[in-house]
Amino acid sequence: MTTKIINQKKSLFLNLEKLILTNFKNYTSERVNFSPTLNAIVGKNGMGKTNLLDAIYYLCMSKSNFSGNDRNVVQKTHDFFRLEGQFKRKEKKEKIVVKVIPGKQKIIERNGTAYSKLADHIGLFPVVIIAPDDTSLVTEGSEARRRFLDNTLSQSDPNYLTQLMRYNKVIRQRNAALKNMAIQHRFNATLIKTYDQQLLEPAALIFEKRKSFLEKIDPIFNEFYQKIAAHQETVQFNYKSKLIENSLEELLEENLEKDRILQRTTAGIHKDDLAFHLDNSPLKQFASQGQIKSFVLALKLAQFDFLKKIKNTSPILLLDDIFDKLDSSRVKQLLDLLLKNDFGQIFITDTHETRVEEIVKDLKIGYKKMEIKDGQCID
Amino acid sequence: MNFSSKLIEEAVNAFASLPSIGKKTALRLVLHLINQDKEVTGQFAEAIVKMREHIKHCEICHNISDLAVCEICSDARRDRSVVCVVEGIRDVMAIEDTSQFRGLYHVLGGVISPIEGIGPSDLYIDALMQRIQKGEIKEVIMAISPTIEGDTTIFYLSKKLKDMKVKVSTIARGVSFGGELEYADELTLGRSIVARVPYRINE
Repeated sequence: MTTKIINQKKSLFLNLEKLILTNFKNYTSERVNFSPTLNAIVGKNGMGKTNLLDAIYYLCMSKSNFSGNDRNVVQKTHDFFRLEGQFKRKEKKEKIVVKVIPGKQKIIERNGTAYSKLADHIGLFPVVIIAPDDTSLVTEGSEARRRFLDNTLSQSDPNYLTQLMRYNKVIRQRNAALKNMAIQHRFNATLIKTYDQQLLEPAALIFEKRKSFLEKIDPIFNEFYQKIAAHQETVQFNYKSKLIENSLEELLEENLEKDRILQRTTAGIHKDDLAFHLDNSPLKQFASQGQIKSFVLALKLAQFDFLKKIKNTSPILLLDDIFDKLDSSRVKQLLDLLLKNDFGQIFITDTHETRVEEIVKDLKIGYKKMEIKDGQCID
Repeated sequence: MNFSSKLIEEAVNAFASLPSIGKKTALRLVLHLINQDKEVTGQFAEAIVKMREHIKHCEICHNISDLAVCEICSDARRDRSVVCVVEGIRDVMAIEDTSQFRGLYHVLGGVISPIEGIGPSDLYIDALMQRIQKGEIKEVIMAISPTIEGDTTIFYLSKKLKDMKVKVSTIARGVSFGGELEYADELTLGRSIVARVPYRINE
């Protein structure tokens, strides 16, 4: 039942009309116009399809999805990059400009005014990216899974990001204090207790938000998985946090000796994790490659659905190399599902020139194909 | 920048080493001094040398002072039962400018920030404890910036002061005067609502 997955209420539309790139990855100077519905970006490997998606992601999240260091984003031999996105949001035109000189400055302007805090931008232009390296959610360490939680909740709730930044800062100070005290052989219990107190409020809020988010997406996640995988197995995820059973105050106290030896804080929400299961067995060990791909895809679509409901706006959906995850018939089924339900603006990259076109043909929706060749767009 | 004179170059570099003065401003200042009488420059230099030579930190509150004990601490008209704890001397000046406070000060010399290598023992915290132990002080007002490090310092001090017989208060945080509510940031406005104060009609 698709009606159960997406609520029928017409959401406020968000879409990117025009993108201007300067010195961004392999784009020296390029302007691209988009369709408000479906955009198929085709081209051979290494031509810059994914980079185009990353530029859109950057405009929404004020950072690249793929590289943490802006030095790898700016085109080689240049010292700055600029992105301009002309959006339509809540029936108004909005212009977002990103200007970055790596290592020096990052300015983001909304309609000509620069943000004093970049965090204020997050969540105004919700975005979800689905890319082949999403499987790192399953295969890599807990950090990747916390990033998934933080990415979603930062976009859905501005207070979450504020509290997360506060929590992380206090943790860094507490760790520095533990280290300094060990070097000076002088332990100051009052100072550590002070940091413990300061952690309680943001930690409680972050914990509650994470828990409630995971509870909310659980049923949708299962439905998406069944649709994509067409398998009978059951999938589930569990929130793993020590805060489920103990208060942070108790945990910090219990782990104090350990913290003093290791000179860092060993318990807290910065150690939270998610456990993924397939038919009650750990996903990582027991699932096939295909099952893992379907699993993370369902998770990302659940994230999309969650943001859509909270924001009452369809996030921009970036599908990078989706055919790597699914065969043509499944992609068709997925697009069918997405487009029938007021899914907003979608960008799909594909190496195959006509595959998306063939799928879209029967769906009767607005659509634009563009070919990318060496950082240039051929309409 | 090319200079025709080594002497000018040295003077420009000296001015330019000061905060918020660039090379061009420095050159303007130097050229200005050249056009003045020699005496003016002499007085100017003397004022700086004398200031640096004789300036002290007050033994009691660690504010900047000409004498061993500063003017505020030695002023008999000030209320000795209230101490306002601040990060630096600029905060003392800012609060003095309000003319709303008649108590004494205590300058900490910063806030606790282990990342920058500043622990409690690097600040005048023990000196504050000793002042309070003398018994004259009844209330400690924390006038410290509402940053994470500021909060840590307030928390830490309150823990230290818990068993002493003093009232601890912090300055109010909220919407600024003349400001409009819709432009106040969410955190400030939220706090102002939570920490609202009873409304009094002055008759």
